[in-house]
Amino acid sequence: MVDFCADDTVELRKWRSEVREFFDSEAPRNFFFDYDYDEDPIRWAEYLKFWRKMGEKKWVALTWPEKYYGLGKSAIEKWVLHEEMINYDIPSYPIIGLAVSGAVLRLGTEEQRMFHLKGIAEVTTLWGEGYTEPQAGSDLASLTTRAHRDGDHWVLNGQKTLGTAAHHAQWMSVLARTDPNSKKHNGLSCFLVPLDTPGISMAPLHNMANGQQNHTFFDNVRVSADCLLGEEGQAWPQVWFGQGGDRLDRGGPAPDGHPFRVIRMLNTIVDYCRTTRRRGVRMADDPVIRLQLAELMSGVEVMKLHVFESYSALSASNGFGGRAARSFISQAFYKEFWPRMAQICMEIVGPMAQLHGGKWAVLDGRVQQYFRASFGNHAGGTSQLKRMSLATRGLGLPR
Amino acid sequence: MAIDLNFNEQQQLVQQTANEFFAANCGPSLARRYENSEDPYPRGLWGKMADLGWLGMSFPAEYDGLETTFLDMYALYIEMGRHLVPSPHLETVAICGELVAALGTDAQKRRILPAIGSGDAILSFAFMELDGLYGPEGVTLAAKPRGEGFVLSGTKTLVNYAGSANWLVVAARTGGTDAADGISLFLVDPKAAGVTLERTANMGGYPLHSVTFADVTVGADDVLGPVGGAWKTLDEVMMKAAVLQSAMIQGAGEQVLEITVGYAKDRVQFGEPIGKYQFVQRLVTDVAVEAANLRLLALYAAWKIDSGQPFLREAALAKAAASKAAAAMTFASHEVHAGIGFMNDYDLQLFTTRCKHWEYNLGDARYCLERVMDESEGKLTTFEAAPATREMVQA
Repeated sequence: MVDFCADDTVELRKWRSEVREFFDSEAPRNFFFDYDYDEDPIRWAEYLKFWRKMGEKKWVALTWPEKYYGLGKSAIEKWVLHEEMINYDIPSYPIIGLAVSGAVLRLGTEEQRMFHLKGIAEVTTLWGEGYTEPQAGSDLASLTTRAHRDGDHWVLNGQKTLGTAAHHAQWMSVLARTDPNSKKHNGLSCFLVPLDTPGISMAPLHNMANGQQNHTFFDNVRVSADCLLGEEGQAWPQVWFGQGGDRLDRGGPAPDGHPFRVIRMLNTIVDYCRTTRRRGVRMADDPVIRLQLAELMSGVEVMKLHVFESYSALSASNGFGGRAARSFISQAFYKEFWPRMAQICMEIVGPMAQLHGGKWAVLDGRVQQYFRASFGNHAGGTSQLKRMSLATRGLGLPR
Repeated sequence: MAIDLNFNEQQQLVQQTANEFFAANCGPSLARRYENSEDPYPRGLWGKMADLGWLGMSFPAEYDGLETTFLDMYALYIEMGRHLVPSPHLETVAICGELVAALGTDAQKRRILPAIGSGDAILSFAFMELDGLYGPEGVTLAAKPRGEGFVLSGTKTLVNYAGSANWLVVAARTGGTDAADGISLFLVDPKAAGVTLERTANMGGYPLHSVTFADVTVGADDVLGPVGGAWKTLDEVMMKAAVLQSAMIQGAGEQVLEITVGYAKDRVQFGEPIGKYQFVQRLVTDVAVEAANLRLLALYAAWKIDSGQPFLREAALAKAAASKAAAAMTFASHEVHAGIGFMNDYDLQLFTTRCKHWEYNLGDARYCLERVMDESEGKLTTFEAAPATREMVQA
């Protein structure tokens, strides 16, 4: 039965007010923090302090089983939590840990679950991702980082690059080739690697949105055999493509951070247009800007509905394509919409939008920061890759 | 508590029945036959649709209706779009029938609703004027009081199926202090003295008419709803119908996608199926992305309607996206098809020309985006549930 989650049940209203009560007392005020693009140690500390409180309430692991530090709540309750996170400008949880949690919940041994999920749920462990390599970007399956078995250990050699947040992390999820004779998608394995292991080194990369990414080098890095996640050689089907779409699953059904960044920006720009006058006219009454804002509202609404759809069980009724096709559509759309939206916001604000810092910067330079960040839309795969996957795996066109 | 975007069993049954029925009884050849046809729609098909209960499905039971949900209608409309069904269903049932059900007197409902449901009456919606505006300011046709009734003078255009109609539902201006005030609805016999119908050639080959009213007398019994106060209900009915029009575009889009994917797989050039070329794949995926997004927006609006929530913003978002998608999907498909798609013998052009009518009908993208802004003024967050609940919590 079609139901987009009306906020009209007693349980949901109670849950929403519980969330608000907590945010009213604990959420940092006027704290616009994006972990991907902020290296300030004081702000990082404030961010982690808040999320550890969320961890204490078990709200990071809201939908996980109680046995694994969660509360076993439903997707819809998670959606309500995220709605309120938007209303209170709560910075998102670092996404890599959530991605790892999903894979660990599905594939981990009991020991791996008890150990790793605790750190993620309580926000005591941060995760980096070791997937992309200098010669393996969109064509991730051509990666060459090697792992060979040596007694009770695996030994890793190779280089990862463009890893987000690795320099903040204690652990890394690493894709490596365990079968030296394999090609492409076969013979890859996933390892959960402590980053203080001897032989690991990093070199910083600075991106255009003020964030740091990293090269990570593995030089005869020995990790114990129980660091293998899932079956040896099966990382591609199990971890990477495990849910029938080429996205990392995120700890049960969880909206990722992107729809929320977009909604926040929309609220910011709409508010700006409603409170700013130009040529004696409120910007929100300018006919051109009105259409621009309505276009943004439309795109944001679509992104929100994509999240709803990812929560819904799929049946044959109403609409074409399976879960994979719909996931590719959702990702292709937001990856293309995000930079388009950023450009429209820059056009709306106009020449003053290029300033950042100081009292003359419009909206503290948040629009230009958003524009810069929008070129990070390739993370998790480019829009072209999503379109290619949609065409071939989603719609059945020849490869 | 679960988020669910799937039809319930009843709606699945409607969709499946409609798909099978229209596949057997309609399709491109029927659409071709009724394009620019003297006989504007297939009466046999209309009768069968009546037998299936689809003409009175949404009406109250006391007027022989089935009182189905809006989503049942939505499911039917997806299939009417997919199969290019030539019928006056949108005008007769979803607009005029719903206006009679919402505003009519008991006598008017008894006279009209059972006759629609049985397939005996066709109604046409005379709203649009020469400026091509969908908002209340577009309604300028004058209705002046005379005796117990009114006299209508002016011209309506894009009146679909007017030549077959038993009644026209005419939106006219009886006065008013602002655009939305002073709009009244009238039931008019198209054969009445002073009514002139001119059929106008158009892209989709629809039986669109310009209708001129030269001092046409309308009795008090044929005023539909409150004099001067019809806009609110009229607007709601039109926006609901806009969601159904969006559902038709959704169904048509899914069919265009299927045609396009099939062609890209079969057509070989440079020794390969063209669907292997990524410029072609890009265009094919454009159709898929547009179809998927408009479906979500339309379904969301339909759910809002069925669950009794405010829906004007969501309906406007749906029709804006559907109007843009109607153009974008057929454009991308033509780019993939090139020469063959340009030929009248190939079915794609049937979708393209009808989609142009649907793109405009009941609100083009610009009008709907303006509505989105109007509806969202005063609320900052995109989550309309939040502020209301917040007040409740504080209280």
